[in-house]
Amino acid sequence: MRIGVFICHCGVNIGGVVNVPEVTEYAKTLPYVVHAEHNLYTCSEAGLAAINEAIKKHDLNRIVVAACTPRTHEPLFRLACKGAGLNPYIFEMANIREHCSWVHSYDPKGATEKAKDIIRMAVFRAALLEPQVEPEVEVKGSSLVIGAGVAGMTAALTLANQGFKVYLIEKEAELGGMTRKLFKIYPTLADSTEVVNTLIEVVRLHPNIEILTSTTLKEVSGYVGNFNVILTVPEGERKISVGTIIVASGSSIYIPPKGLYQYGIYNRVITQVELDKMLRDDTIGRPERVIMIQCVGARKGEIRHYDLAALPKSPTAELLRRILKARKEEGWPYCSRICCMNSIKNAILIKERSPKTDVVILFGDLRVYKEYEDFYRKARDLEVRFIRYIEEVPAEIMKVNEEKLNVMVYDALAGCEVTLTADWVVLSTPLIPTKDMVMLARMLKIPIGTDGFLMEAHLKMRPVDASVDGIFLAGTVTGPKDVPESIISGKAAAARAATLMMRKKVSAEAITAVVDRDLCIGCGLCEEICPYGAHRIEEGKSQVIEILCRGCGSCAAECPRRAISMRHYGDHQVMAQLKALLRPALTGAS
Amino acid sequence: MVEKSFEPLIAAFCCNWCAYAGADLAGTSRFEYPTNVRIIRVMCTGRVDSTFMLLALRLGADGVLVSGCHPGDCHYLRGNYMMERRLGYVKRIIELLGMEPERLRLEWISAGEGEKFSALIRDLVGTIKKIGPNPLKNGGIEAEYLMRKMDASIEALKSQRLRWVLGISQVGIKIDEARYKAVVDSIMHDEIERYMMILAMKEKGPLTVKEMSQITKLTPTQVMRHIIALRASGMIKEVGEREHQYTYAATV
Repeated sequence: MRIGVFICHCGVNIGGVVNVPEVTEYAKTLPYVVHAEHNLYTCSEAGLAAINEAIKKHDLNRIVVAACTPRTHEPLFRLACKGAGLNPYIFEMANIREHCSWVHSYDPKGATEKAKDIIRMAVFRAALLEPQVEPEVEVKGSSLVIGAGVAGMTAALTLANQGFKVYLIEKEAELGGMTRKLFKIYPTLADSTEVVNTLIEVVRLHPNIEILTSTTLKEVSGYVGNFNVILTVPEGERKISVGTIIVASGSSIYIPPKGLYQYGIYNRVITQVELDKMLRDDTIGRPERVIMIQCVGARKGEIRHYDLAALPKSPTAELLRRILKARKEEGWPYCSRICCMNSIKNAILIKERSPKTDVVILFGDLRVYKEYEDFYRKARDLEVRFIRYIEEVPAEIMKVNEEKLNVMVYDALAGCEVTLTADWVVLSTPLIPTKDMVMLARMLKIPIGTDGFLMEAHLKMRPVDASVDGIFLAGTVTGPKDVPESIISGKAAAARAATLMMRKKVSAEAITAVVDRDLCIGCGLCEEICPYGAHRIEEGKSQVIEILCRGCGSCAAECPRRAISMRHYGDHQVMAQLKALLRPALTGAS
Repeated sequence: MVEKSFEPLIAAFCCNWCAYAGADLAGTSRFEYPTNVRIIRVMCTGRVDSTFMLLALRLGADGVLVSGCHPGDCHYLRGNYMMERRLGYVKRIIELLGMEPERLRLEWISAGEGEKFSALIRDLVGTIKKIGPNPLKNGGIEAEYLMRKMDASIEALKSQRLRWVLGISQVGIKIDEARYKAVVDSIMHDEIERYMMILAMKEKGPLTVKEMSQITKLTPTQVMRHIIALRASGMIKEVGEREHQYTYAATV
């Protein structure tokens, strides 16, 4: 056994808290460790080259990298091992960033000791790891796209053009999703119906796309490459099997509760979507003044990331407490990303039709960037007025008569309260998760983030992958996006799905159950408890159907004869970590 | 013998898809928590064998955390439910051993609950600090006896008889819960006592009923009852005589 340990500074992410050189010296003292080194970034080209070199130089046959989480970086390092001629399963990761330096920055000494423990555990486990062969699974060349908005249709079209069969399902009777309900799209002021209709037409005519409207998902089973899906269609049920799934089921628009800024009480208080409709139908007329209020129901609610009671007394904590107290208004905690641009767009549209109308946008923060900044300038040139309000002092709306409202707002820059009379007050509300998002997430086993949207496998590195293999995310299911961004994510998701389907085969994790036939008495408990039907009793002994086994290990934990073991997660391999961890805890313990 | 500043050591079994990812998110979001926890990654909490939880305590952990996906969210459909049931039995054994059941904790953490993970660790460390170090660390005769009993409990949890009775409850066979609980309890007691005897025979060589009674703190009648059962199943046999009493040795 020749173990090599590579400890990553991750710039200052680990090195700024954990004493990496000390930990490296410690690693050298561990059993079977013949080489230990530290690198600035082990995942960099130089870091990977160092691993490769050390494997050859020191004839290493087990590799431990102490760095970040295996959930993102294990595949990369396994690949590096493979590149150096080693089986990828002899690799083990010690998570000393997410589970150590990032959460113990106030206690560098404790973090250093913990890092040593984590590495010792990984080394003990690595010593017992064995090479594994990954079973290959066939990937069906068909895809299910859930939701026919711009993102879904784009994804469907991209896949269909590459020759894959696509089932495009939409819960509504018509295609087009949210975009169909809009009027003009910023920044080009293109007609949204035109954009959508062109897309719909191409999708409808495409021979590789089967469109199923008024259709919802009933059940999903199977795994990457072989998903079995039951759909609820108007005629009843329909079963399909696909290789990949793209979730593009979109989001909803937040409708303010009755009374918020007098919404639902005065009919001259409307939302941006209602304004869109009025602009499209040209029923807005020539009003004297239109006032838009930003962040209605967005960036509100509790500040979830802070446990105020646990915060030490400090000016920051005091400020947070004060803000939290002021935030009684209900709503969603995040910035919805598109509302600033949407309001500016509608302001420009009003100005272009009726230059004499005074359009005022009340904002907390204005978030326009890149080419959108020009759009903002265009609005200023058209004399759209921007007034900054502060959240603690929300605007008040009072009725003057049936057609006029008074809006009282504290102008944060001028430092005084102003009252403006308006014909219309337009509330900019955020995109929010759809009501069935939770159901969908459960069915597909995709986690939901704190904002309520579906979570990507990794926000930065795998932005369109779900954490479930073979499932990809497009459009606003992961959070607010505008039309171009939705189209980009639709194409990205399609590309990711196509990569899988193009290969026709994908190797599955080698973590599967193994039965010791000498110990097995064929009692059948494993057959009963396996959720995937991977155990079958044949000739009085349990047989594992490897392709069906997903590797959860419940059978191993339940087998009365302890005849079942898991590849890569055998009792001895898990126990090794426990023993390594607790070795110093009790003297004399086995 | 509580040390001045007792820093508990906690072993945490976290599933790859939810709790481990939740701990990752706690890191990404910099939700600080004390350094007392060491995480062991498993694909699913369904993999966490009952012996793992008990062995952690036997080896000196002050607390054990098993954390996986919320009910209904298990990446493998039912693994977390199976673990939950299993953990219930281990908790009963821990009580039976006279240890604080709070030392073994089950908590559901999703991949999106970084803050909850951080809060959980803070809370768990607080709980364990309150109840003190693992009693095995106290040393002395009591700790030695507890160690024996724990070893026997681990063996019992590995035994076919107990595993079968526990396993059968996972497959949805309709059974009267109260009656089932009584049966499990009696089998649990039996197996732990029998393994205390077996381990004593393995350690010290052939023993008489009287000697076994002294080591295991069981009455001679109880020891005799187990000897009859163990002989019948071929797990021990008579090997000789000492002071006009038969001596027995383990055959397993």
